[in-house]
Amino acid sequence: MLNELELIQELRKGNEPAFKYLVETYQDRVFNTAIGIVQNAEDAEDVAQEVFIQVFRSIHSFKAESKLSTWIYRITTTRALDHLRSRKSKKRFGLIQRLFGDGNKPLHELPDFHHPGVTLDRKENAARLFRAIDRLPENQKTAFILHKLEDLSYIEISAVMQISLSAVESLMHRAKQNLRKMLEKETG
Amino acid sequence: MNNEKNKKIEDILNSLDGSQKATVPGFFYTRLKAKMLARHTSGENELEKRINRSWIFRPAYALAILILVLLINAVVILKGNAAADNNTTDADTMQSIAGDYSLNDNTALYDLNQ
Repeated sequence: MLNELELIQELRKGNEPAFKYLVETYQDRVFNTAIGIVQNAEDAEDVAQEVFIQVFRSIHSFKAESKLSTWIYRITTTRALDHLRSRKSKKRFGLIQRLFGDGNKPLHELPDFHHPGVTLDRKENAARLFRAIDRLPENQKTAFILHKLEDLSYIEISAVMQISLSAVESLMHRAKQNLRKMLEKETG
Repeated sequence: MNNEKNKKIEDILNSLDGSQKATVPGFFYTRLKAKMLARHTSGENELEKRINRSWIFRPAYALAILILVLLINAVVILKGNAAADNNTTDADTMQSIAGDYSLNDNTALYDLNQ
């Protein structure tokens, strides 16, 4: 069992068992965060793989000013949001193609996302919540997912997002307000 | 009625509380290692990746730059035309002044000694 500093040192040496240990320690946290943001299991696995590849490549530039987990969460949220942006731009491009009569492929809206950890009795409500979360601004979405899905405290979220504690509080407040408005509209 | 609606919304907002965490599908490390190896052997270089990720290639920026270039072109062309028109008017005026003062006919030789 390696402590964090030893793990970082071993990773810098390119030690494969250390990398495997890192992946096995953080893979579920990375995957759970990614799946909350991208709302698709295959995409979340892609994101998780990209996160560990980036960790492997940039471990030399990691200054250890923050905890390793904080750094990995930061990479995860950035990667997941990048993935979302690229998916949305592909969707827009597909729409343009269809407008010009080039895209014969039908555009499929993603089906409702069902988080694998949600109990059956809450499944429908959770799917509605995820639909609303998807429409939140990126920073509110990040804060909300880290808090609700990963149970991170506001202090931990502020370290991941590199913003002040009051900024996190404000983000969470606005996220809840926006979600409530969206759900009110939807409920009619 | 309103209370019922509020309760429903609260239930939705709290639907993730106490949920289990999602876990990666099995053999994640094996697939990750295979991906890293495939990338390594395909010689995907960093520069290429950086270029691909560069902001300038994002459609929004590329389109904005294209519109900017077209606008600059249009302004240059319009200004050029206006300047050409002005030059023609200037030349006409000069010619008429020259005509008025008989300056057009400059074939006369002046003896500076006289």
